[in-house]
Parts: sequence; structure tokens; C-alpha cells
Amino acid sequence: MWNYEKRLQYPVKITQPNAKLAQVIISQFGGPDGELAASMRYLSQRYTMPFNVAGLLTDIGTEELAHMEMISAIVYQLTKDLSMDEIESYGFDKYYVDHTLALWPQSAGGVPFNSCFFQSKGDAITDLTEDMAAEQKARSTYDNILRLIHDQEICDPIRFLRAREIVHFQRFGEANREDCSELV
Amino acid sequence: MNFKMNTEQENMLHDISVVDFVTVEMAEYLDTHPMDREAMEYFNHYMRMKNQMMRDYANKYGPLSLSVADNSCKEWKWALQPMPWEGGC
Amino acid sequence: MQDYNFNEYFDRFPLAMAYVPWQHLTQIYEDLDKAFCTGTIFPELTKPFTGRRCVK
Repeated sequence: MWNYEKRLQYPVKITQPNAKLAQVIISQFGGPDGELAASMRYLSQRYTMPFNVAGLLTDIGTEELAHMEMISAIVYQLTKDLSMDEIESYGFDKYYVDHTLALWPQSAGGVPFNSCFFQSKGDAITDLTEDMAAEQKARSTYDNILRLIHDQEICDPIRFLRAREIVHFQRFGEANREDCSELV
Repeated sequence: MNFKMNTEQENMLHDISVVDFVTVEMAEYLDTHPMDREAMEYFNHYMRMKNQMMRDYANKYGPLSLSVADNSCKEWKWALQPMPWEGGC
Repeated sequence: MQDYNFNEYFDRFPLAMAYVPWQHLTQIYEDLDKAFCTGTIFPELTKPFTGRRCVK
């Protein structure tokens, strides 16, 4: 089961609202390669894994929930003081009409979060290979965000999140190694 | 890193975040290197440090998790503090 | 006990599998504040975004 600590894993302190950037970053909340998808993927796969791999999937899946919280905090801080003029002029009106300024998991393109974004196949090699791909997809998405956004307040937590994807890739790769499975 | 540390509370929270991050990182390493004793000692050292820091923080500013909530206090501080996405980390 | 050998005999690895090299506990950042800002305590896993690729 889960405990909650009342702090973000890494600080998010954004002083300037920006609806345009929020619409891009929301993809790492509810998009296909986002943190919610990552978390649900790993937490779903773990049940049919050997126990040592299940431990890793539980730990990383839990950390991804903390990352989802950071992304949500970024989107929340980018949108919380928007004027109606800003909402309309940045094309945020389509999201606003259905959700006001609430957080709702969807991709930047408007696709709602759904389980088709991930697979839980029940084969350890297949699932770990999927997980390695997932970490690279997330890393690529953060690369794209860093190409689009240059605001230091936003880039700082984004760079942290990107670095975590690289570490997780290494861990899933190690879990996939035959010798790791020999520890069972 | 640009956030300003100008209060004791912010400093304590920052230190907890750093130490907890170390434990999370080392726990994930241990998940694939379960026999690495040096890593285990490193993890144990920082986990003990984090637990103490959580208790110290809770005594001064209220609990960061329900496991360190002081059930002898008169007000339910857990619900009265701002949420982390409001910018306080 | 598994010994994660530094010498990995790649030419003996079976085909049609994906491998990453084992990480060993060789280096940890001494400055943990720096590690926190970087996003990892391991210098070997520090691979920052440099702005290259996919940019014309």
C-alpha cells in the first residue's frame, strides 16, 4: 500500500502564468509517454513478475506518481492566475470549457488518458523491454519540452525529471539481464 | 537551481528532499544489486538520517506524513498546512 | 552470491536479447545538493540534454 509525503520530490516554483506552455507540459501528465502512463504501466506489470523485478517496478512506479504530482504542480502554477483574455488568446478555452482550471489527464493534443497508452503483457522480457522503451519515450518528450521552453523556472524541474528517466532506463535494463533473473 | 532558501523551514524541507532523494536512488540501485553491501550501508545511513529529519520537522512545523503525525496535539495539522503544489515544495 | 563482474564477455551473450552494461558502485557525487539538482547521485548516469538531434 502507499503512504504520502506532503512535499514534491523536487521543488516547483513558477512565478509567471503561461497557458501556452501549460498545454504542452500537460502531455507529461496525461499523455501517452507521460508520468501517469509510466506509473500505471509499472504498477500493473509487477504482479506477474519475479519478485525482485516486482520490487523494482513497485519502487519506480511509486516514484512516477511523485513525478506526475510535479508535472501537475507545474501545470497548476502555469494556469492558476490566468485572465479570461489569456485563456482565450492562447487557445486554452477548449480545455477551460470542460475543466475550468482543474487538472485532467490528457495529452497536449487533447487525447484523454487511457490504458491503450501502455501494455502489461505478462511476459517479463516483453514487459521490461516495453519499460525501457517507455523511459526513452519520456526522455524524448522532455527533450522536446526543453527545445520548446527556455524559462528557467520550468526547465529546472523538467531537467530533473528527464534525468530520472535515464536512471530508470538503466535499472530496467539491468532487471532484464539474465543474470539478474538468476537471483530469484 | 534558483529557489531561495531564506527560512529555517525551507532549509529543513530542502534537506529532507535531498536525503530522501538519495534513499530513493539507492533503493532502486539495490533492487537490481541486492547483494551490494556498500550500497546497503549507504542506504541505511541516509534512511536513518531522513527518519530523524522527518521527526524534527514534524515537531516544529507539523507532519510531512501521517506516520510522523503527532496524535497528542490539539489541532489536525496535517489538513491545515498548504499543499505542496502551492509553491512551498 | 552474484558477482557483477567488470569483465563482461559480450561475444558470449545470446542473440536476440537486449542488454545494458551492469552499473557498479564506483562513483557517487560527494556534493548531494549537486546530485539532487542533477537528478541522480551517480556521475556515470548523468547525461544532460545538449540540444542536439532532431533539430534542423
